Amino acid sequence: MKNFNIINLTKGKTFIHQLSGTTKVRLFAALMVYVMMSFDLPIILPLFIFSIIGLISLKPSWKTIRPIIFFVVFLNVLNIILYWLADPHCGFEYTADKTVLFAYTNYLVVTRGTLWFLLVRLLKMLTAFSTSLVFIMSITPSELAAGLTSLGFTYKLGSIVEIAFRYIPDISRDYENIAISMQCRGLELDAKKTKAIERLKQMVIILIPLIITSFDRVGNISNAMDLRGFGKGKKRSYYSEYPERRNDKIFKLIYCLIALFCAYYIISGLITPRVPKMWIYWRCL
Amino acid sequence: MSKSPIIEFKDFTFRYSSQLEPTLKNINLKIYEGEKVLILGPSGCGKSTLANCINGLIPFSYPGEIQGSCKIAGNETSHSSIFSLSSVVGTVLQDSDAQFVGLSVGGDIAYALENDNMPREEMLPRVLKSATLVGMQEFLEHVPYNLSGGQKQRVSLAGIMHEHVKILLFDEPLAALDPQMGNQAIDLIDKIQKNNNCTVIIIEHRLEDVLYRPVDRIILLEDGQIVADMSPNQLLCSNIIVEKGIREPLYLQALKMAGCNVTIDDNPCNVFEINLDKYKDQLISYYSNVDTNKPLEEKKVVLKVKNVDYSYDDNKALDNVSFSINKGDKIAVIGKNGAGKSTMAKIICGILRPDKGEVYLENVNYLNYSIKELGQKIGYVMQNPNQMLVKDIIKDEVSLGLVLNNKSEDEIEKNIKEALTKCDLWSMRNWPVSVVSYGQKKRVTIASILAMNPEIIILDEPTAGQDYRVYTEIMSFLEKLNKDFGITILFITHDMHLAIEYTDRAIVFSDGKCIGDDSVFKILSDNDIIERANLKQTSLYSLATRLKINPESFIESFIVSERRKRHEKF
Repeated sequence: MKNFNIINLTKGKTFIHQLSGTTKVRLFAALMVYVMMSFDLPIILPLFIFSIIGLISLKPSWKTIRPIIFFVVFLNVLNIILYWLADPHCGFEYTADKTVLFAYTNYLVVTRGTLWFLLVRLLKMLTAFSTSLVFIMSITPSELAAGLTSLGFTYKLGSIVEIAFRYIPDISRDYENIAISMQCRGLELDAKKTKAIERLKQMVIILIPLIITSFDRVGNISNAMDLRGFGKGKKRSYYSEYPERRNDKIFKLIYCLIALFCAYYIISGLITPRVPKMWIYWRCL
Repeated sequence: MSKSPIIEFKDFTFRYSSQLEPTLKNINLKIYEGEKVLILGPSGCGKSTLANCINGLIPFSYPGEIQGSCKIAGNETSHSSIFSLSSVVGTVLQDSDAQFVGLSVGGDIAYALENDNMPREEMLPRVLKSATLVGMQEFLEHVPYNLSGGQKQRVSLAGIMHEHVKILLFDEPLAALDPQMGNQAIDLIDKIQKNNNCTVIIIEHRLEDVLYRPVDRIILLEDGQIVADMSPNQLLCSNIIVEKGIREPLYLQALKMAGCNVTIDDNPCNVFEINLDKYKDQLISYYSNVDTNKPLEEKKVVLKVKNVDYSYDDNKALDNVSFSINKGDKIAVIGKNGAGKSTMAKIICGILRPDKGEVYLENVNYLNYSIKELGQKIGYVMQNPNQMLVKDIIKDEVSLGLVLNNKSEDEIEKNIKEALTKCDLWSMRNWPVSVVSYGQKKRVTIASILAMNPEIIILDEPTAGQDYRVYTEIMSFLEKLNKDFGITILFITHDMHLAIEYTDRAIVFSDGKCIGDDSVFKILSDNDIIERANLKQTSLYSLATRLKINPESFIESFIVSERRKRHEKF
């Protein structure tokens, strides 16, 4: 097993993969602020395009990520529908447009302004999602640990992440073994033959030995870490963290500029509140 | 060898805070620089505790009360710290899976250096050097999940082989390895010790396997006390190992059974070097007179596997496998990890169904049965009892399978009483599972399978990691089940001793194929099979070749007379 699901355990070969962990984590942090801070289309749309290009450049296995994409798109569409149901005029504040396109009842109306607002909102969510997906798929847990440290978090936090990823496959193998032995003893795990509540109960039966064996393991792991000097100093270096290369330097400039821009945008927005630019085309007509 | 002790225990006593009695009592021990020492003893004798005192886990991770002194490289451990100790003492833990904390081979080897905050440029050449030392330089980018137990152990070793390390400490290095890998590990330890001139301490209870390469001294622990501190030859000639529940090397057992009194001058610690001239005639005459004729019995076939294929995605795990199992058989299923043993077990249990070929259970194609139904005919006992035990009370654990199969109250009562009695657990039926010993837990898991009244029981490595006493306890119990109740037992194992002592037939897997299906003594004297299955020659084979007699009949005679002797005892 080289990778499980969408998480890489070893560094990939593409451009983004090859950036250092520090670069990836800092860039991601800056981009998350960038996408969250506004509903401005001129700000969101370019990132959306870049993140899609980034995603394609990673040469992902579409078979594994397709269900994830479908699931997230579905959830977000559901989200805006609920948003609309809660307040059919929610877009007015941003678009100042109440032109009714469809009306189902007096309450449930679709206005042009709200529709546009919700679409912009959907785009914002999807941009955040696709950026995160690129980040998750391009970083290895060790690089994440190194990157988090570079943001000033204690390295123990990064190590927790690393250790978790290290042992997830071991634990899932344990789970599989326990499930097999319980099935042989007559536990019915077939979804078609048992009710959901019954299945939940049976999961608990499997979890007990899993937890006990995992605790045994935790003791061994912490000994192994102690014996190799984990926690010796305030700082720690990373074998998997490549030294800064040319591309990292370029991206350093990029994320610094993004961060500066975000700071300016947010602070100036606090001083003089602004109306988000949503490119409301019909106003230009 | 310089005369300054690198490890020195003086009137050392240690008691864990959680226990009333000290685990180590009055230890006086000196180990000198460059020595190779084996610490021997049954489970619970305190040998791991002793190791933890050396590497600093005691007192820094396991608090307790120390009396006396323990000096490592001249420093009193209790005044030191685990970090400064770990730079002198490198420990390879028993569980090489847990020790592998990095996400790649390179990352794991670098772990100690990372914690030293060493810049990456300095780290890289060192990682490569350590990896080369253990022969893992080609694997630096590999993730742990595809490595074999032996490879993981090498990585652990590379991870502690940094500069200042003077003492290498191995905690049961053989526990998780198949026989050939075990030999390789012992060989590697030997080479590294010679090249780096460090002190090596091996903690094991598998005496014969460690003696594959010479050791300077053996320290035998019992009940937290040192009961012997002598050279391997001295120890092997005394009766002390048998008394203390350590397994004697097979070739010595063979010699002693023939009535030979081996002395220190014969150099008994290695089967290739032992002086046999005096004993040759005695051995040959004894073993050629063993009556190996067994009454032929007609046996009924219970399970028949016919031309079975199975693939995981693209990997062929089983390739045209056929064999049959008779009622009352005791069979060893052997082969290295990934050879197809566990896949075969899963197929037999019905967890997986063959892609091609058939499995017949008492002449019925087993596709007619659901997993649940099969579970009542074929029982599967996992290696680690902790992975099977789900209830608090022994009785509930044993009845679980029956409850899940919706049996009537009366039937449940009757079956669990029978199963618990067979396993000698009836008097303990209301005990909590958590308080019983490992061997007893194993019996509880076997009882919970027996309660379903299966035709066949499959046991996965029933004695893995257990000392000779627990091993004997578990195995003689299984033997009794087989003999008294006619239960068919399949052992999935790579313990050759187990196969020799307790099974009649061996089915050998390699790369998904069944490469051998014959009496144990025939399999064990077939060089080709042994090599392909990652087994190793038993010392009986080596002994026979040295005596220039036919290994097959020699091993057979040994097995027969060993069993006879054992049965006389019980």
